[in-house]
Amino acid sequence: MAGQSDPSGSTFTAAELEFLAEDETVEIVPNMRMDTLDFICGQYEKLTQVLEAERDSLDLFQPLPFHYVEISRLLFDHARDDIPDVYLVRSLIEDIKDVRFHKIGTGMEKLAGRASAIVLKHISAMEVNIVRPFTARALETFYKLDSPEMLPDSERGAVKHSQVADHGQRRPLRPNR
Amino acid sequence: VGLFVRMAKYYDIDDILAEDELVPAIFKVAANEVGLIDSSDDTNKVESGSKVELPFWLASELHLRQAVSVGFPRCFNKRTQEEIKADAAHVDLRNRCPYFYELGCKIVLLTGDKSIGPVLLVAFMTRYKEVLIKAHTTSLTVAPKSLTLLTNEEAKLYEAARSSTAAMKKWRMGGPRLQKASVLGRKRKPVE
Repeated sequence: MAGQSDPSGSTFTAAELEFLAEDETVEIVPNMRMDTLDFICGQYEKLTQVLEAERDSLDLFQPLPFHYVEISRLLFDHARDDIPDVYLVRSLIEDIKDVRFHKIGTGMEKLAGRASAIVLKHISAMEVNIVRPFTARALETFYKLDSPEMLPDSERGAVKHSQVADHGQRRPLRPNR
Repeated sequence: VGLFVRMAKYYDIDDILAEDELVPAIFKVAANEVGLIDSSDDTNKVESGSKVELPFWLASELHLRQAVSVGFPRCFNKRTQEEIKADAAHVDLRNRCPYFYELGCKIVLLTGDKSIGPVLLVAFMTRYKEVLIKAHTTSLTVAPKSLTLLTNEEAKLYEAARSSTAAMKKWRMGGPRLQKASVLGRKRKPVE
């Protein structure tokens, strides 16, 4: 299952994430009476708000269900007819996804160096799974290059990026191979 | 913990290949029966003071035994450093040395000469951004020319990002969620 043998470092495949996502409880409204409102109907107002909030704040992510990508895809695939305004909902979710991905990208550009661990609050499962191999490797290389054993004392302060928050003390890595 | 990490690297193919790169070394003692190393004359020995090029794995062992002093190979010279300072993203580091970072780190740790440390860091900081952007944005079929400039480590970074993005896109496009395992496909002959 979770590929320990996968050299590229991705802990879960997308399909495995989807499988885990299915554990999330979703409200199911039985179709016995046609005038019953499906729960998603209330969601798209909320989605518009989420999209605006994502666009407005450059550094933060909005809290979303951890598996929102997987859940939304599953629902679109299997319950498309039950979602009112499915095209609108779908495009809102796509937009939210794009904005967040872009945010991850710019955040990663900024971090170059001086960080051996990063915190991404409210990131979702699929997003984490995509950036994990790259980010883990990059951070590891930064850790090796930015160590006191590599840099002469005079240089340590000179090569600086001012906006990177302090992520705590440098700690020795535990080998995980 | 240090021993565990060293053992983990023992079988790491990249580590093995990185240590195969040649580094300049100056013999501090005379050595017999190893004329192979310095074929400038006919004698089967190396004189003290001779300058040779050795693969790093050998040079570092000899260095620890204080038989040689190790220097930085050409790929770390002033010219490369200037190029990195000017435009790190476009320097052909692969050509200089595909194991640029790994070898550089090893030599620094071996000799204690930290002069190129900042160069390595600056180079990586700049080039990492390039890899980041290119790996996540360019279309799946076109490989940009800049890939040929990447060192081994950078190429792995690129590949890591590519494969996870590609895998996600493939999942998103859908497909059969349940697939029959291939071993079940063939009929087995009933055992007589």
